[in-house]
Amino acid sequence: MAGAKTWARTKSPWVLHFNSGACNGCDIELLALLTPKYDVERFGIKLEPSPRHADVLLVTGCVTQQCSERLKRVYDQMPQPKFVVAIGACACSGGVFEGNYSVVGGVDKVIPVTAYIPGCPPRPEAMIDGIIKLLNAINPPKKQKQIQAPRAKHTTAEVKQDVKL
Amino acid sequence: MGTNIGVYYHVHTSKSFFTLKAEVPKENPRLKTLIDIHPGALFHELEVTDLIGVVFEGNEFHGHFVLSENWPDGFYPLRKDVDPSKVKLVPTPEREANKAAEGRQVKIIIGPQHPALFEPAKFSVTVDGEIVTNVEPRIGYAHRGIEKTTESRTYMQDIYLVERVCGICNPCHAYGLVGAVEKILKPDVPERARYLRVIALELNRIHSHLLVLGHAGLEIGYETIFQYFWRDREPIIDLVELTSGNRIYSSLITIGGVRRDITPEHIPKIKSVIADLRTKLPFYRKIYNDEPTLRLRMKGIGTLSREDALKLSVSGPVARGSAVDMDIRKDLPYEAYGEIPFKEIVYTDGDTWSRMNVRLDEVEESINIINYALDHLPSGPIRVEVARSIPVGEAVCSLEAPRGELFYYVRSNGTDRPDRVKIRTPTFANIPAFLKTAIGESIADVPSNFASLDPCFSCTDR
Repeated sequence: MAGAKTWARTKSPWVLHFNSGACNGCDIELLALLTPKYDVERFGIKLEPSPRHADVLLVTGCVTQQCSERLKRVYDQMPQPKFVVAIGACACSGGVFEGNYSVVGGVDKVIPVTAYIPGCPPRPEAMIDGIIKLLNAINPPKKQKQIQAPRAKHTTAEVKQDVKL
Repeated sequence: MGTNIGVYYHVHTSKSFFTLKAEVPKENPRLKTLIDIHPGALFHELEVTDLIGVVFEGNEFHGHFVLSENWPDGFYPLRKDVDPSKVKLVPTPEREANKAAEGRQVKIIIGPQHPALFEPAKFSVTVDGEIVTNVEPRIGYAHRGIEKTTESRTYMQDIYLVERVCGICNPCHAYGLVGAVEKILKPDVPERARYLRVIALELNRIHSHLLVLGHAGLEIGYETIFQYFWRDREPIIDLVELTSGNRIYSSLITIGGVRRDITPEHIPKIKSVIADLRTKLPFYRKIYNDEPTLRLRMKGIGTLSREDALKLSVSGPVARGSAVDMDIRKDLPYEAYGEIPFKEIVYTDGDTWSRMNVRLDEVEESINIINYALDHLPSGPIRVEVARSIPVGEAVCSLEAPRGELFYYVRSNGTDRPDRVKIRTPTFANIPAFLKTAIGESIADVPSNFASLDPCFSCTDR
């Protein structure tokens, strides 16, 4: 039963997008993922509007004071197991806005982050690569079956080592 | 400013600019409000009250407008003698605006995390049955304090910082700052750079308009049109990458010129891509004109009359959809726009449908502009060397961003860092139009009406 659950989760992760004070750069690239050129639905990834049904939280942008409480609440509303992906330089570390008076910093200052995708903004290929790396970390596939994101040789997405369901 | 606070009113009339300057003592900064004369000043006064602490009599409010709710009252981050990093945050107070509606009315909260908004903003919509009776906005979820941060970074760093006000219209923000600084510094910007800037700004306009034309379809549940427009937007993004090296942040425009040149090999590639796009436009026009779904959800929805548009000082496609013929590219030509022939698109109905059609027609005009600029591209250098320090002075720069008039005010103090940068973004001016037109209409029309403004909250909040 547990195997079937893991299989279902990694074959079709439902992702929730949360903008915690981004500049729209990452957001439009994230939206471009859903459109015909990149089309992440071929990996079973579906953008889900409600936190209650989501498996993966994609956070874009530095966390602003006004958003930090809301980000925490959205994270708490998600069911276990849940994973957080920080998309873009600002979500990873605060980026160009680090130190501003109304900015808390990167996403990991507020909620635990599983995977980081740097870039300003990261290319859609890099985002696909990051999400695929996360899925491979959750459910390590046999060597020959490892999913490879297309054209993602130069991306630098990083996933924490101890990812468990 | 020592013991006084200067309050500047930059007024853009039909063809020219003027600035009114007032000074108020710092101990008790009070001025009379302008909203009885000009309702469009509402948001601007609230923002000044929140960030600088000048109270406008007749337009007072409690709580915060841009700053976060846990920000202490009476601590104004944009004042020069205030170090906002030393702020002591307070527990979030319960404000009047968060209370439930009374009687048979129901309050529906849209945002900050909402599938229809890809950005954080909150609208408390009060409905009676299905009819909207009141809309209360709460912006500031994306407030990053960029205006204050520009003062502690050099001009070169500030170009990259202000580009990140908004990822969609980033060349416009870069040009806003650069244009204002160049008015103080007066470098001899090469002719070729002025044309290259126009090409960068117009490519940006095309991608931004295609983005919102598709997004509006998503808001009314017409996802096919969203996928179509975004499919055709990708080649334009590829052109941005070809000419600047990056898909989103081009960082092309800099003080004294541009960073990258368009080579002769690029020109046929650019021309073929935009010619491809032109062949697709009649199809989109047909959809917007004939498709019954779109007509039902857009014709006669969110109608803004010409008088209201002028009163609320809306700008860009929202104003041009309401028969206000204002386009900064025509009124106060900047860069090479004065030499390039193009049509100003004006629709008269003032509804959602008109605003979207203004954008659709402007895509075609932008294609014409790029074609003309490529044909008449002067030869020569693309950039001149400029000093790092900017002499004492102040300047404004106004330009036509995809969403409307973008306004920059820069004051320099002789060093390599600005003394004050003020950014007035188009969405900030356009939101009052939504607050007015949403009232009296169905709650189901709120998303499409709102999307027709092409809202951008990262611009609004800065």
